[in-house]
Amino acid sequence: MFFLQNRLVSGAIIIIIYILIMLIFAYLISGYISSIYLDRKTSVDRILKPILLFAEKLFGEDSSKKMKLREYFLTLVLFNASAGIIAFLFLYFQNRIPFFGSYYQYSPSLVFNTVTSFLTNTNLQNYSNPLHLSYFSTTFVLMGLMFLSAGTGFAASKAFIHGIKNDDGYLGNFYHDFLVAIIYLIFPLTLIVTIILLPLGVPQTMQPYVIVHPILSNSIFKVPLGPVSTWEAIKNIGTNGGGFYGANAASPFENPNWISNLVEFVSFTIIPLGSLMSLRYIFNDKRFVNMLIGVLLGIFLFTTFMTFFGEYVGIPQLSMLGIIYNGNMVGKETAIGLSQSSIFSTGAVFTSTGAAATQLLTFTPAGILGVLGNLILNDPLGGVGTGVLNIFMYVIFAIFITALMVGKLPELMSLKIGSKEIKYSTLSLVTHPLLILIPFGITIFFLPHILAPFTNPRSDIITEIFYEFASAASNNGSAMGGFTVNQPYLNYVEGVIMLLGRYLLMFFQLAVAQSFAYKIPKVQLGRSIDTGSFTFGLMLFSTMILLGVLSFFPILAVGPFEAWGHSFGLFIGGV
Amino acid sequence: MKIKIKEIMLDSLKDFDPRFLRHNPVMFVTELAFIVSIIAAIIPGYFDLPVTPTYREFYVAVIVLLFLTVLASNVSTAISEGKSKAITDSLRALKRNTPAKKVDGKKIVEVNSSDLKRGDIVIVEANDIIPTDGEVIDGTGYVNESSVTGESRPVRKILGDSVTGSTVLLTDKIKVLVTANEGETFIDQMISIVQTAEREKTPNEISLQVLLSGITLIFMIVTAALFAVSGFAGVKPDLIILIVLLVALIPTTIGGLIPAIGISAINKISSHNIIAKSGKAVENAGDIDTIILDKTGTITVGERGAVKFYPNQGVDYKKFVKYCAMASFQDRTKEGMSILKLAEKEGIKISESNLKSFKFIPFSSDTKFSGIKGNKEEIMKGSYNALRSLYDLSDKYIDSICKDISLRGGTALTVTRNKKFIGVIELSDILKPGIRQRLERLKSMNIKPIMCTGDDEITAKYICSQIGITDYIANSKPMDKYNVVVKEKEQQRMVAMVGDGTNDAPALAKADVGMAMNSGTAAAKEAANMVDLENDPTKLMDVIFLGKQILITRGSLTTFSIANDLSKYFVIVPAIFAAFSSLDFLNLLDLTNPIVAITSALIFNTVILIVLIPLALRGVRYKPSSVNELLRRNVLIYGLGGVILPFIAIKVIYMIMIASGAVW
Repeated sequence: MFFLQNRLVSGAIIIIIYILIMLIFAYLISGYISSIYLDRKTSVDRILKPILLFAEKLFGEDSSKKMKLREYFLTLVLFNASAGIIAFLFLYFQNRIPFFGSYYQYSPSLVFNTVTSFLTNTNLQNYSNPLHLSYFSTTFVLMGLMFLSAGTGFAASKAFIHGIKNDDGYLGNFYHDFLVAIIYLIFPLTLIVTIILLPLGVPQTMQPYVIVHPILSNSIFKVPLGPVSTWEAIKNIGTNGGGFYGANAASPFENPNWISNLVEFVSFTIIPLGSLMSLRYIFNDKRFVNMLIGVLLGIFLFTTFMTFFGEYVGIPQLSMLGIIYNGNMVGKETAIGLSQSSIFSTGAVFTSTGAAATQLLTFTPAGILGVLGNLILNDPLGGVGTGVLNIFMYVIFAIFITALMVGKLPELMSLKIGSKEIKYSTLSLVTHPLLILIPFGITIFFLPHILAPFTNPRSDIITEIFYEFASAASNNGSAMGGFTVNQPYLNYVEGVIMLLGRYLLMFFQLAVAQSFAYKIPKVQLGRSIDTGSFTFGLMLFSTMILLGVLSFFPILAVGPFEAWGHSFGLFIGGV
Repeated sequence: MKIKIKEIMLDSLKDFDPRFLRHNPVMFVTELAFIVSIIAAIIPGYFDLPVTPTYREFYVAVIVLLFLTVLASNVSTAISEGKSKAITDSLRALKRNTPAKKVDGKKIVEVNSSDLKRGDIVIVEANDIIPTDGEVIDGTGYVNESSVTGESRPVRKILGDSVTGSTVLLTDKIKVLVTANEGETFIDQMISIVQTAEREKTPNEISLQVLLSGITLIFMIVTAALFAVSGFAGVKPDLIILIVLLVALIPTTIGGLIPAIGISAINKISSHNIIAKSGKAVENAGDIDTIILDKTGTITVGERGAVKFYPNQGVDYKKFVKYCAMASFQDRTKEGMSILKLAEKEGIKISESNLKSFKFIPFSSDTKFSGIKGNKEEIMKGSYNALRSLYDLSDKYIDSICKDISLRGGTALTVTRNKKFIGVIELSDILKPGIRQRLERLKSMNIKPIMCTGDDEITAKYICSQIGITDYIANSKPMDKYNVVVKEKEQQRMVAMVGDGTNDAPALAKADVGMAMNSGTAAAKEAANMVDLENDPTKLMDVIFLGKQILITRGSLTTFSIANDLSKYFVIVPAIFAAFSSLDFLNLLDLTNPIVAITSALIFNTVILIVLIPLALRGVRYKPSSVNELLRRNVLIYGLGGVILPFIAIKVIYMIMIASGAVW
């Protein structure tokens, strides 16, 4: 009984249970995902194949026509761009188009920010008020982009795997990859999650907003409803993360109870982790994939417990007053509690979801460090598809150094890693910190007036603004807030960061794949370096941590570290 | 090798030229930092820097340390360049301008060796220096090639053999067809190869440079962002301190030593008397997957030799050995000599007096036997079949021994005395000393050895079983080697091989590492990417170890360099924000004086670069062992060591500085 009553222990147990459930579901789907990656037969072909063929016909594209890097990437970008432009027009003119139901006029900068945000799978929501969006804008424009961004990410990872796996010099066909992702994976899962969420109390309606007039109040509340359940499903399945409501999953309509919390957690980890696990079938290398998952879980456990302990300890000064203090519950949903809030928050940044079941602004410095730790690693598990791309960049980097240390030239999956692959993977790893640090430095040095509305201590302001750019660059979309984000400068700058963080990175990663696409695997006698070994796992882990820490340590020092040392002493655990 | 300190220092100073350093981004940034800090120290007011005497001293210290960092890198490069210059100089010294006797129609004219053209014919007489590279077209003679190969034993050159310019003909007179114009001779090629090999960056080096440039770029932006944020956070940013942070973070250790590691690789190969045509070949050598070894010369010593005597039933062992020795005494073939040697081991020594009344019958390929004939007795040795048909003999015992021997791949040499079999001598291949261990090491490194031999299947199999390898090509024809190379290349495996004949040239050209013997034909040397001056094919394995060592040195120093950054952060960042007591917990080393702490970190940064120069030039110690073991070891030493060492070292430097009265 002690263990259940002790909030620290029970919280830890809940976190472990969450992780186990996450692993089980990802494992269950990994075989299916591997069939999608390899275009193999699946058990649902009878139903979905005709739909796929019909959709491909609709696009008028010959799906057997394979593309190389230039064509593949151009198709991807143009397809995304045209969708973005259409979405821009719809949102910008939503008040002038009949039957749209909204008379609200957005500023161009906000529309630009919102569209890029949803297009790049980021979902920073600088608009933040569902009242201003019509049902049409919500359902067709934003939800459409949510599907599109998830499908695009998955297609890119499919191309990457095609490049490594085959040696025909091609990456595959973008339209085919995209449609397969939507029809075989994203849409069915969204449907399932929608249906699961309904009985849990998540609304799904096209009825007008409900007007509430509380008895003892003079004011009238307008409660926006809508297709929340579907929105919620694609938000998580597609690792988008943008909430229907401004409060995201902290709002009771999006996330009513602990079951929905778990369902949402599983649904935003299932594709990223499942894709990673599917690699074991794709490359026939169980140990390598286990090592990858081990390293990622190590990072996840570390950051999650850091956040959990940080929140559990809360503000030591309060607990020292002798009053009963149950940790930092400020900004948290009581239905979910500390541990589930913690793992939801770190899980949302561990993947590139960025959904929030709690108010990040009220996190303790230690708590926010756990969340930031994932952001600065560019969301280790990544989003739909992008996780596979990102982790391979780290793997190539780690293999290069490790191979040299044992006197071998580096190779990945028995393919030689040449200077071209190193060039592009280095570029992709460098791009992320640059996308954060450059705008961060410029903003804080040249435009302090942007930060004028802040009333917080300076270290908190630094953390908040840093978080904003880190979230944009890693296409995560979670936000600490704390200041007015809907400013033209921030809207535009963040938009550009999101676009670069998405497409530039994708280009570098696909360029690596293209370079591998010509290479024929070596027939191995034994392993050159055992990428499934603990030592290599340690090297990969250190590479990720070092690159992350080294790039951001000084900023973290004046931000969360300073706040930590300043207001909280150094109490951790057991206080 | 003598190192000229003055020249090296001059070269190092010359290398400060930014146009030169541009090729090495890490050092280029360091030099920029050096220049900026000088400017900042001269006009501190412009950069809003504090100008108390304490800070003045600090600025001077920083400038000196930055200078030393760049200098150390340049010195390491200059030392290795100096070494390779010494190698080219010694090669150049070989090239002597000698008079040559050119055949002009029917006359012989004396011309200068530098005036010889390809296609000319020259006469070389005893004790003449061979004027240039060529091919013997007439006559035979012994040539002293020690000037090129270091091997003092004269080499016999016969029709068709190639001769190298600057070597000396010791005996007889030969006619040589010139095969190289001035400037194209072997030595000329070697000089230009050594020169270009050191200049060109290898693919792996380029990859590493790209990676390091990426890291450097990040740190430049990190430093700039810190500059931007520190003002906002409430600390006045000090340009010089930020410069120190930048230089401490960028991987100066590996960045400064990369060129030296590359050049010293070529030098080391050269000091093994191997000329590598490119650094890439040396680097590839480290990553070899398959190595094709010729049996003769690499695995076994020369030709076959006697290994055991088997007397016939009723024949005394000692007597039998004596007869064998007598029959072989005048036999000048390798087999004959090996029989005498083995007999001597058995305690039987023959002198000329024993054979006074005998006449020697030499071996001929028609009769297939040799021996001695005296008045009363004749002793013959030869192949079983030849002697059996000669005397019309049959002997079951001898027959079974012969079968046994051939089953294990040896050759049976039967001996008769007075037309009766008296026993058998077993001839077998003699393994080179230590070859088994070397092959073991290759296998532990995951390299597949393939033995190539002209012998039959049984012999090949037997030798392979003795040295513990499974792949061989028996009855090999010249094309077989090429086919093996192609097959392995199709499997994307890296192949190394040795060759000397013209028919090896295609395979040598196709292989990733092809090492030609200097005694080989010009075509082979042309096709190969390495030439061994000492004609020792076993050295191919040394090349592989060297190649690995270079890669390991690079990898280990990179890991070390990046791992170092962690501790430098924990020293410099708390020092920059010393004003915030809340950041004290980051000050793990408890360095209370921020300026001294920052200086200590920079001192460590500079000192470690200087300390590691010998390591870079010599290479990381490399014991061939399994990949996992090696990885664990190097991760422990250079990874974990790289994290911990600077913490200790910086603390020690700090304490020394404080103790010596630096009370900034």
